[in-house]
Amino acid sequence: MAAIRFEAVTKVYSDGTRAVDSLSLAIGEGEFMVFVGPSGCGKTTALRMVAGLEGISDGAIYIGGRKVNDVTPKERDVAMVFQNYALYPHMTVAENLGFGLKLRGENKGEIARRVREAAAALDLEDHLDRKPRALSGGQRQRVALGRAIVREPSAFLMDEPLSNLDAALRVQTRAEILKLQKRLATTTIYVTHDQVEAMTMGDRIAVMKKGTLQQIGTPEELYTRPANVFVATFIGSPSMNVVPAPTLGIRDQEHLAGFRPEHVRLGAGDADSVEFEAKVDVVEYLGDEQLVHLRLGDRPLVAKLPVEPRLHAGATAAFGIPAGCIILFGVDTGQALRPGSRGSMLQPTS
Amino acid sequence: MIAYPLGRRARRRSDPADGEGLVSQADLRRPGVRWGLGTAHTILLAGLVIIGVGPILWLAKSAITPTQDTITHPMSLFPHGAAWSNLTQAWTNVDVGRYFWNTIVIAIGSWLCQIVVATTAGFALSVLRPRYAKLITGLLLTTLFVPAIVLLVPLYVEIVHPPLVHHSFIDSYWAIWLPAGASAFNVVLMTRFFDNLPREIFEAARIDGCGPFRLFTSIVLPMSRPILGVVSVFALLASWKDFLWPLLVLTDPNKQPLSVRLPTIQAQTELGVFLAAMFISCLVPIVGFLIFQRSFLRGPGLSGAIKG
Repeated sequence: MAAIRFEAVTKVYSDGTRAVDSLSLAIGEGEFMVFVGPSGCGKTTALRMVAGLEGISDGAIYIGGRKVNDVTPKERDVAMVFQNYALYPHMTVAENLGFGLKLRGENKGEIARRVREAAAALDLEDHLDRKPRALSGGQRQRVALGRAIVREPSAFLMDEPLSNLDAALRVQTRAEILKLQKRLATTTIYVTHDQVEAMTMGDRIAVMKKGTLQQIGTPEELYTRPANVFVATFIGSPSMNVVPAPTLGIRDQEHLAGFRPEHVRLGAGDADSVEFEAKVDVVEYLGDEQLVHLRLGDRPLVAKLPVEPRLHAGATAAFGIPAGCIILFGVDTGQALRPGSRGSMLQPTS
Repeated sequence: MIAYPLGRRARRRSDPADGEGLVSQADLRRPGVRWGLGTAHTILLAGLVIIGVGPILWLAKSAITPTQDTITHPMSLFPHGAAWSNLTQAWTNVDVGRYFWNTIVIAIGSWLCQIVVATTAGFALSVLRPRYAKLITGLLLTTLFVPAIVLLVPLYVEIVHPPLVHHSFIDSYWAIWLPAGASAFNVVLMTRFFDNLPREIFEAARIDGCGPFRLFTSIVLPMSRPILGVVSVFALLASWKDFLWPLLVLTDPNKQPLSVRLPTIQAQTELGVFLAAMFISCLVPIVGFLIFQRSFLRGPGLSGAIKG
């Protein structure tokens, strides 16, 4: 395993597109780092630069303390798992797994031993003589994972490896990847656009938007102390409600007020709560709770409430949010006001 | 009793892979449509067999028919028995065996040159992608617009006075092999095929440790069997039937292929023996196609490699 460091890494394509803009971050040895963001945010480009599949326009990438800007993919000692599996169609599963070792000149006995080990770890022992076309989607993805682990590289690079699997298989494979990573303790960069995947898998998460790093931190930090409106609304499902502060009765034209749907309470709260009245648009009954879509003036809000008392569309009700759960963001910058000291500026008007 | 077979037929027809086309099952149940369609199919099939297979069958029949019978009753089926000796005479007296061998040597050499040039050039332009790949591909495409006949004289001059070598290639098989290799059509065909191979597989191979040569031999070529088959068919057939260029550059009769020798020997050879020689010369392409048609015509076989 090896630490990976980005130092002001920039990628500009020939058409002038700035895919990654001055990205600086450090990933510790054995850490599971998730790059997350919407399509086109530069997360895959950043990963491909680590793999050596994309050139670096400016800055430097270090793997295990070695600058790798001009090092070929083969010599970087990393393994990559692709979104589309990228298995060799003319080779059997065993040949797919052992191909990288063969190219590195390992002897046949050692290759066979490591292929068997990887196959056992991924429950592929019965499929070693099959071609990829004879495997199911989940099995193919496991072969792709096996191809990465069999080489025992210093880092795993995973580019949305679960996005082609169905929901049930995705949850199962997610757990398998986590178990595998913890057991091998190999530094991992995992790219996804799915914030649930990011939250459940990453030791730390780097949120990106339009090539720039928005925030890096543990899942809890990102959820409870988002650095800006983008992170606040991107992380969490349903996403954070963000409205102009005066809408909630806060006397502050300069800020937006953000609060999580689960922090909304039905009825007037205590003295420390911010209260508002809103009309119920739609109620989604989830069994153990209800997602209530509200309308406050012309602004839509979402509240996650206990299933009782049941609310119905068209009703108007009073709601409260504990002041400590409200995060203020600058109207112009979108940046959170003093992350970590939430709600300290709240001045209810009534 | 008959419900099961009918049901099975109906299910087969509903499979779009069966290619029933525009006529629906409901239409097929109508006697008029079924009769009309069946008649049209039969007439079309019979026509195609007569046009396509008829001449070959006639040649096969005439190859073992006495000359007199072929002249007097060209469409009769062995009125005075078969003359198997035509085949042995063609092989020994007319020396078809030697020309046959020449043709094979020329075809295999041309095929090898074309495959080597087309795959390596296609790989370079599509996978390695040097800076001027697009320009080079464009220039290659423009050569396709130049008629081959226009290039005959300059090509001949090149063969007589080749650059660098300073030794005429006339009466050498290199005079056929080398120009055959310079096929822009094959390079473009190969480039387009390689363009459609999934890039992720190449990237996975590079991370696994493949250099350009290993990528070419271990990944790209094994994935390209269908297009290699297509180019091989084109190359072998074109070389087998080429007449003009071998006639120009191979002046020694002992080195000429069947396509050049057969017209030359026609005047001094008995018709039955000549037709037998022609039949022998046709056998290889026909048998080759029948053997390899399945591998040539099947899909690229990439299933399972990537999630589409």
